[in-house]
This record gives sequence, structure tokens and C-alpha cells, in this order.
Amino acid sequence: MFSFVRRRMYTSALPLIIVLLGVFLLARLTGDPTNLYLPESATPEQREAFAAKNGFDQTLLTQMADYLKGVLHLDFGTSMRTGESASAMALRAFPATLQLAVTTMLLAIVLAVIIGCWAAYRPNSLADRLSSLLSMTAASIPDFWFAITGVWLFAVLLGWLPTSGVDSGLSWILPIATLMIRPLGVLTQVVRGAMVSALSAPYVRLARSKGASDFRVVTHHALRNAAAPALTVAGDLAVGLINGAVVVEAIFGWPGIGKLMIDAILQRDFAVLQAAVLLTAVSIFALNIIIDACYALLDARVREPAQV
Amino acid sequence: MSPAVRTTRRRQVLAAALAGITVAATGCTVANSRHGGYDVNTLRIVLQEEPPTLEPCESSLTSTGVVVRSNITEPLVERDPKSGDLQPLLSTGWRQTAPTEWTFDIRKGVTFSNGAPFTAQDAAFSIDRAVNSDLQCNVDGYVFGDEKLKVAAPNDTTVTVRTEKPDPILPLRISFVEIVPRTTSTTAKVREPIGTGPYAIDDWEYGQKLRLKRNDTYWGKKPAFARAEYQWRSEGSVRAAMVVNDEADIGTLLGPEDGAGELGVAFPNNETTALRITGAEAPLNDIRVRQAINYAVNRTGIVKALFRGMGEPAAQLIPEGVVGHNSNLQLWPHDPEKAKQLVDEARAAGVPVDKQIRLIGRTAQFPKITETVEVIQNELTEIGLNVKIEMMDTAGQLQYQLRPFPDNSGPFIALIMHGNQAGDAAFSVEQYMRTDGAQNGYGTATFDRTIDAAGELTGQQRQDAYAKLFADEPNEVAQFAYIAHMNGVLAKSARVDYQPNSATGDEMRLADMTFASADRTDKQ
Repeated sequence: MFSFVRRRMYTSALPLIIVLLGVFLLARLTGDPTNLYLPESATPEQREAFAAKNGFDQTLLTQMADYLKGVLHLDFGTSMRTGESASAMALRAFPATLQLAVTTMLLAIVLAVIIGCWAAYRPNSLADRLSSLLSMTAASIPDFWFAITGVWLFAVLLGWLPTSGVDSGLSWILPIATLMIRPLGVLTQVVRGAMVSALSAPYVRLARSKGASDFRVVTHHALRNAAAPALTVAGDLAVGLINGAVVVEAIFGWPGIGKLMIDAILQRDFAVLQAAVLLTAVSIFALNIIIDACYALLDARVREPAQV
Repeated sequence: MSPAVRTTRRRQVLAAALAGITVAATGCTVANSRHGGYDVNTLRIVLQEEPPTLEPCESSLTSTGVVVRSNITEPLVERDPKSGDLQPLLSTGWRQTAPTEWTFDIRKGVTFSNGAPFTAQDAAFSIDRAVNSDLQCNVDGYVFGDEKLKVAAPNDTTVTVRTEKPDPILPLRISFVEIVPRTTSTTAKVREPIGTGPYAIDDWEYGQKLRLKRNDTYWGKKPAFARAEYQWRSEGSVRAAMVVNDEADIGTLLGPEDGAGELGVAFPNNETTALRITGAEAPLNDIRVRQAINYAVNRTGIVKALFRGMGEPAAQLIPEGVVGHNSNLQLWPHDPEKAKQLVDEARAAGVPVDKQIRLIGRTAQFPKITETVEVIQNELTEIGLNVKIEMMDTAGQLQYQLRPFPDNSGPFIALIMHGNQAGDAAFSVEQYMRTDGAQNGYGTATFDRTIDAAGELTGQQRQDAYAKLFADEPNEVAQFAYIAHMNGVLAKSARVDYQPNSATGDEMRLADMTFASADRTDKQ
């Protein structure tokens, strides 16, 4: 297992370097930040001084070399907007996003497994059709609309939940519900489909003929084999959650890394953007390795290279 | 237990542990941030964005100034937003002691929130730091331009400020300089300043909340609320919902459709929207085309239909209450036929009126901006111009708002929104109407001389000169097609008494907020 993880880490290194260079170059294509940071009537001398202070007077290659040198020393530079260390800002924001994403994903998986198994156990029943309808609806709802509607319905009209913020446990409900609705819809459909196939497989019939209970058949035999496709989709959705909680963070005032990245893009705060993207990329690669490791645990063929 | 079962169990335990550790390892950053319930002595304000810094010399930036100015730090003099008059604050009096020199008397008995006494040396230091240092303070560029000042404190209660040439509105400019102790860094900006204001910074949880506490050593009247707490939400509807849901007392920068309902309060916010026509290239270098654009814009219809009546159709760059405003100016008539006629005349004279014109707007700059741009594009297309909309983010749009403009920009019109915080037309015309102004799109040398002459006058002569200038500009230059003097909307909880004014968007004074009469129990 250790060698498997090590192999995956090696293969992740190249994409990480591409991300590192890509974000550096793309950020600089978005334009000159001088107008955002200097007074409107800044003199040419002030503009030159600003460029020199932030290294913008150097060639792109020199800037990139300085940046990479800094990364190797874990120095990601300083925010032009706040004057704070860029890595400190990214590291402060990241746990909030991760906490939200992990909680959302765990809940989505548990609920999707329960609903998907329930629907697959009696295909074409009312329960199956209802869960299909609801899961397809959930997978199609725009998160922005759901969030704003949720605020007005549950916070303003009913007064059950706070509108936003991170002040209490209740504050988590709307952001998690908003983030979860699409993954839950998609995963439920995947689990249902995989379970329908698994429950009609010969090994399930064999288990039943040997007297295994329905619960054991579903949980120990069918679900285990249906888990692989669900895990694949869950991995993709989890990556999307880490990367794409921007809307939820912006609407609910969640102090996460998505909001930090958007602010950094709008403010052309290159150092913060680079630190945030790199941290997100590293976490996504780590997540992929974890998912692959889970695969390997489920299937020995993945764990060891094929023997010829 | 068989080895296979043991392995399965181990895997299940491993998976469960992994999930648990992941949740725990993400830290309790968010959960730990709770601070209990609602405290009646705390004024809860929700802003659109977190202040990037509270550096006092950056207080001309709206997101910084709205928190810092007159709350944490104070200037020597302040402008009354209603009357426009200057009022004493940390200076008790000021006078012109020479053509290029002003003297300010310093208030005695004032201390900074850290206990240090405030003296003339602190005032001189603060002006010097904001204007003459290498900090590249925004207030320096916005208020003082390239001007350098010689500042001195001959004794503990007097500050003298010398200018290179006579400056009749120097005290007004000085009202933008927030005073800090002379121990403040001159080589780096500070994020959390010390000041003499009615509040001091208590705690700033970056990304989440900023808390202020009442400055117990404050020299003036004790503010009603013991504490203030700022949060920020980018969505206007969420800010409104927070006030409606009693999670905040004040919600700023709302649109008419954000849902504040009866808690919404509209107020004139000193901002004026306009099309700034860059006249360097054809077809916009022809005054007939620029005037045709003015005839085409239905500003009354835009204010009524899009802004829901929240604003006034505009005939000039500054609103009423600003020195230089011309109250006799009539709205440019909406006359599409006349506009077509002018475009046809220009076409007949060889002006390439079919050349594509870029209409550049800034996303989310004000409510309904997208619809406004679309309406204007349609109006200009109907008179025979070829207009393409380009919506940009702030950084992108600023490239076309501030000189030097990008190379090969082509003919373009920028939709701008200008706020004159200072109350004097000089701050608008020098930026927008002088040919070398940072935000000028077109001008003439003759008009520049008129601007310079107006700037040297004082009193009624100054008012009349600027008023004439605004009357002449459409005929001599026609750089602008004004749209509206805008209104702001904020949501206000019923438990707070506060009347927003034209300065509220830039300087929201917490000391002006009190408990509503029905809620006036002893909260101290």
C-alpha cells in the first residue's frame, strides 16, 4: 500500500508544477494591478516605485524564477491588499472550506447510500420513482438560487435559521444544504443504478440461496461491489466542493478559500491567488490519492501492478 | 476470527478513523468563532466587503474610510455633510496667516486611545506622513495631487501648513487627513491604527468580524453604543435579510430590490453616474456625435424605470450641496430625432459614424448597471451609432477610467460613477475635466484655463465660476452625458436611530447612531 501511495505522489508532481506555473502566468494575463492600489493621480514615479516594490519591473521569467525560489522556501510572498503573508491568509481560510466540504460530502454519501439502496431494493416502486424524481431535481437546481431562496424561506419568513455567518451550529445548515443538494442528487442516482445491477448479479442470488438476510445481502454483498462507481463520482464531486464552494462562501459569509481566491482575482492580489490555488491543488491531489487508496483497499487489482 | 474478517474490520476501522480525523484535522476554526448571542449594547453593522486595511491614510478608499473615519481616528476639521461648512474637531480654529500658509489651533485635553496625549506634533506628523511620505497614501493622490506641503508645529498647540501656491481650500483638504500618534510607522502602512476617535479597535478576526469598543478616554460626547461589530456579506439581499432577521442593525449598499422593505432608508449619496466620452478617436472626436449621445440618453426614463425613482436625473457632474453646483442647469432634452439628425450631419461631413464604439461598464458598480448599459446601447444604436457593450471587473474597467488608457483602445465610452466627498467642485473638475486630469476623456486648452481660473477664487466668486463652467461644458466640450445623481439605500433596524446623509457611504459615524426612543433603556 505504501509503495502504491508513493507512486501516486510521484505522478502527481508534474501536474502540480503545471498548476504552479499556469496560475502564475494566467494571473498576470488578467492585467496590471497598479490602478487598484495607487491613488488615482499617481505620478509616473510612484507607478515605477510600485512596480519595483512588487517586482513587476522585472521580466516575466525573472518574476517566475523569484516566485519558484520563494515556493521552495515556503515563502509565497505578501498580499498587496492587506500586507499580510499570503500563505498565512490561505492557511487561515482553508480549514473553513475543508470543514464545510468534508461535512457536506460525508452527509451526502451517507444519505445517497441510504436512499439509493432503498430505491434499488424495489425497482420501479413508488419509492424508487420518488427518489429518482427528487434526485434528478436536486442535481439540476442552481446553487445560487437555492441559497438565496433558502435564506428568505428559512431565515426571513420562517425564522428558523440564521441568514449567514458562522456564529452557531444552526449557521451550518443552509451552507451545507446548498453545497450538498447537487452531490446528493448525483450520488443517489449513481448508487441506485449500481445497486440495481449488483442486486441482480449471480453472486447475490447465490448469497440469497444460502439464506443470507436481505440486510446482509444489501450491505455486505451488493453495496460493496456497487461502491466503486459511487466512489469515483464522489471523488469528483468532493474535488468540486473544495474547488467550487465560492458561491456558498460568498453568499453565507463563510470565510473560506473560495471567497479568498475570488477576492484575490478581483484585486489582482497575485501572491494570495498563487498561494490559495497551490494549497487547493495540493489538497485535491491529496484527496485523489486518498480516493485511489480507497480503491486499492476495495480492489486488489488496483493495488498491485498486473503480473504477466 | 478469520484473517479475512480481521482485515475487513481493520479496513472499516481505518476508514472510520480517517473520516473522523479529517473532520477533526480541519480544525475548529469556524466553530470556535462563535461569540454568543445578541448583545443590546453592540451595534451590528454588515458591510459589502471587509476593509482591506484600516490604515488612516487610505481612508479615502470607501471600504476603509467607512469604518475608520470619525470612528477610530479623526481629522483636525470636518465637513458638515448637510451644510457643507467646515466644523472644528481636533483643531479649534484655523486661519490663513500668509498667502501660502494656514495655521491651525490644536484642541487641548485630547488623548489617543492608547492614553498618549495628542499634541500639535502629532497633527504635523500625521499630515506629513499622509502627504509627503513614500507610503503612496490614497488620500495623497485623491486630495492633494502632486502638491507637497511644509508642515511645522512651532509649539504644542499650533500647526502651520505651507503650500507651494495659494490654496484657498486647504482646510477642506486637511479634513481628509486622519490624525495618528507620532509613533506610527512612516515606512509601512498600519492595518490597525490608534486614534482619538470615539471607538478603538477591540479585535479583528480577519475574514470574519471586526469589533470596536468605546474609547473611554474620548474627549467628546460618549457614544450611545458601547461596542460595534462589523461583518461583511457580498450579496445585497443577504445584507438586507440580516437586518430584517434581526442579525444586524445596519446593512449598507443595498439596491431597491434587495428586500429591506420598510427597514430600507433611501438617501442621496453624492454619487453621479455619467457616460464619459473619450474624444480622441472618430467618431467620438466630433462634437456633433457627442451631443447626439446626450440627446439620445433618456435619463428620466432610466431613473424612473430602472432605479425605481431612487435618484435624480442629472445635468452636471456634482449634486446639490457641493460648491459649484449650478441649480439653474436644465436636463439635456431627450430627443432621439435631433440625435439622429446630428449623427446624419456628421456622416455627411465624412465622420465614420458606423465605426464600432465600445461602451465599457463595471460589473456591479451600482444596482441595475447591466440593464442601464443595455438601455443606453439600444438608444445609441437607434440613432445610428454602432455600440458594443463590454462589462469588466474593477481592475479591467479602471484601465479605461484612469489615464493612461491602454494602447489601441479605439473609440470608447466609459460608464462612470463619481462621488465628490469633499464638497467642492475642484475635486471633480481637476480629475475629470482638465485635459491632464487622471480621469479625463476629452478637453480643450481653453477650458483648462477656465478651470484653473475658477480654482483660484474663493467664496461666491468661486461658486459662480464653477457653476458657469458646468453650464459651458456641454457646448464647448461635451465630454459627458450625465445620467443621474444617485440615491443610496441602507437597511436600519427599528432599535437604532440614525439618519444617513450624503457622507454616509464614505464615513458612517457610529457616534451618530443611538438607541431608538422606544428602545431607550439604560444600556450602559
